[in-house]
Amino acid sequence: MLLNKEKWPEFVEKLIGKNLWAPKLEGEAMRFALVAEGEEVSLEYGNTRVPPKGTAFPQTETMYRFQLGNTDMQEPKLEEERILLGVRPCDARAMAIIEKLFRWDYDDPYFLKRREMLTLVGLACNDPGLNCFCPSVGGAPDSAEGLDLLMYDLGDSFLMESVTTKGEALLAETKELLTDSDADAVKTKEKLFADAGAKIKRTVDHIGIPEGLPGLWEDPLWRRVSASCIGCATCTYLCPTCHCFDIQDEVEGFEARRCRMWDSCMFEEYTLHTSGHNTRPTRRERTRNRINHKYSYYVDKFDVIACVGCGRCINLCPVNIDIVEILRQVKEELQ
Amino acid sequence: MDLEQLRKTAAEVVARDDVKYLIGWKKGSYGSRVAPAFVEDAASVIELIFSPSCTANLATYLTLVEKTPLPRGQETDKRKVALMAKGCDSRAVVQLLVEKGIHREDVIVIGCPCPGMIDQSLLAGKYGDTEERSEVRWNGKDFTLVRGGDEIEIPRNDVLAEKCRLCRHPNPVISDYLIGEAVKEWDPAEDSGVGELEAKDVDGRGDYWEGQFSRCVRCYSCRNVCPLCYCQDCILDRLNPTWINRAVNFSENTAFNISRAFHLAGRCIECGECERVCPANIPLGKINRKMAREVREKYGFEPGLDPDAEPFQASFKPDDPEDFIL
Repeated sequence: MLLNKEKWPEFVEKLIGKNLWAPKLEGEAMRFALVAEGEEVSLEYGNTRVPPKGTAFPQTETMYRFQLGNTDMQEPKLEEERILLGVRPCDARAMAIIEKLFRWDYDDPYFLKRREMLTLVGLACNDPGLNCFCPSVGGAPDSAEGLDLLMYDLGDSFLMESVTTKGEALLAETKELLTDSDADAVKTKEKLFADAGAKIKRTVDHIGIPEGLPGLWEDPLWRRVSASCIGCATCTYLCPTCHCFDIQDEVEGFEARRCRMWDSCMFEEYTLHTSGHNTRPTRRERTRNRINHKYSYYVDKFDVIACVGCGRCINLCPVNIDIVEILRQVKEELQ
Repeated sequence: MDLEQLRKTAAEVVARDDVKYLIGWKKGSYGSRVAPAFVEDAASVIELIFSPSCTANLATYLTLVEKTPLPRGQETDKRKVALMAKGCDSRAVVQLLVEKGIHREDVIVIGCPCPGMIDQSLLAGKYGDTEERSEVRWNGKDFTLVRGGDEIEIPRNDVLAEKCRLCRHPNPVISDYLIGEAVKEWDPAEDSGVGELEAKDVDGRGDYWEGQFSRCVRCYSCRNVCPLCYCQDCILDRLNPTWINRAVNFSENTAFNISRAFHLAGRCIECGECERVCPANIPLGKINRKMAREVREKYGFEPGLDPDAEPFQASFKPDDPEDFIL
C-alpha cells in the first residue's frame, strides 16, 4: 500500500491514541519517546541514540514489590500495548536476535510479554550512517526481520508492506488513507534500497571468526585493542543486542522491590565473585568477552551473530574503539 | 606543532629503560577521529600526532591502570609512564600530584601547548563526516579540514570545543619536555558557559536539570573518563550498602550526578571530558565549571596549577567566607 506524505500527519494522528512511540529529539539526541496529542513526528534521523530494545527489555524492570518481614509479593501490571513508529531494520533484527536468548532454557515472561505487546513499524534506511555495516552481518537497509510493518520512503510517499498479521491489522485500520501500490512504486523501492546498500562502505568479513575466536584467547591482540578502553558501558548499553542484566533488591524503609536492570560486561564488578576473585580482572578480558559473546558464543548457541551492524558502539565510543577494526585484526590473526 | 620534535622526543623517552610506555594520540579509524596511542618502542613513535582533534584528556590513563594480584615472586611494573599533555591535561596531572594519586617520579610529561581543540560533533554537524580518514589542522588563526584532496577553511569559532573557548590555561602548567613554543593565551568568556542557567530561578534550574538527568543512561563514561574520578572503591559500584541504586530513574540519576559534582568541587580542572563523552549529551561541563567558578571566586583557589598546593577540600583558612552557611 502507498501512503502519500500529505496524509502522513493524519496517519500519525490515527495512531496517537494507541500508545504511540516514535523517535524524538531529547537534548541533541534522538530517542524513542511517547508521542503526545497533536505532536508532529519527524522521521528525519539516522539511528536513535538509545536503541528501542528498552521497550521490551527496560533498563530497570520491577519484578515484584514486597514489604520487609512479609512474604506477600505484588507484581506490577505490565504496560499496555504500544506501537513503535520508525524502527530501523537493524534495531528490529536485534529484537528478533535477543528473543532467542529470552526463549532459550525457559521463556522469560518479562521480555516476551512486553515483546508481544509491541507493534514495530519499521522505516527502511535511504541513507545509512557512515559506520553502518548491517549487510556484513546478515541485515540490510530494508530488512523486514522482526518488524510487523515496513515503510519505505519513496520521496513523495511511503510504500507500506506488512510483515505480520499485526502489520496487516494496522494497514486495515488506516486503509482510508492508503492507496494501492503499483509496479512503479515497487521498482522505485528496489532501486532506492539497492542504492542505499551501496552507500555502506564499512564491512566485516566474519567468515571463520566464530570458530576462530576461541583459538585467539591469549593473543596479544586483546591487549592492543583494549589498551585505550576506559571501561564505560557506552558500547554495551547503547547496543541493540546487548542483553545482560543483573537482579538487585532495593529497600527503602520497609518497602522493597526486586528489580532487574541492564548490566554491562565492561564494568569491573560484572564478574566479581563474592570471594573477591574476578574472572575478568582487566579490560583486556572484558573487551575479549564483548567480541567473543557477539561473534562466537552467540553464534555457537543460536546460530546468529549478536551484532546487527548499527554502528552505535563505533560512533559513541569516547576513545575510538572500533569493532570493525577489531574484527579486521581478528581476521588478520586467523590467517 | 612540530611533529618531528614530538616524535624525536618520544623516541628518546620510550627508549629509556625506566619508561614503560608513552601515552599520546594517533590517527583514529575513520573521519577526523583520533585514538589514544600507547607507544612502547622507538619504532612506533611514527604514529604519534598532535592535531586539533586531540580533544581527549589522556591523563585519565595514569589512574586507570588495573592492578591485578600478581603470582608470588613477581613484582609490579614500576617503570615511568610518559604522557602527552595539553594545558588542561597537565592541570589534571598537577591535581593528581597534589592528591598523591600519582608521584612526580612516576610520570614524564611531554607538554603540548594547545591552540584550541575542535568539538567533533560540531564539526560533523556543520561540515559532514566521512568514513574515509580526514585530518584537521591549525592554520594560524583558524582550522583547515583536509578531506579527500580538498582543503576546507573552517572559522575557529565554528567548531572550537566549548572547554577551549572558556580555557584559561592553554599551555602546560607542568612539563618535562615542551614541544614547540608556548601559545598566546586568549580571553575566555566571563560566565563559564553557565550565565543563561544562573539567570533562571530555582524552579527553572530544577526543571532544566530534571530534563537533563532523566536522560542519563548511567553508562558511567563521565566517571571513567574523568582523570580525577579515580577512587578505587567508588560509591557507585558498592552493592552493600547500595549508596546509589543501580535503578535508572530521575532520583537515582540525580544522586549519582550530584555526588560526582560535589566530589569534584575544587578538584575539577575543566577539561570537559565528561561532557564530550556523554552519549546522552548531558551538559555536565556546566555543573563542573559552575562549581569551579564558585571555588575560584569565593576562595581564590584554582586546582591543578601548583603541585605543592594543599587539596582544596582539605584546607581551611580562618578567613574562608561562610556567608552562605545558613
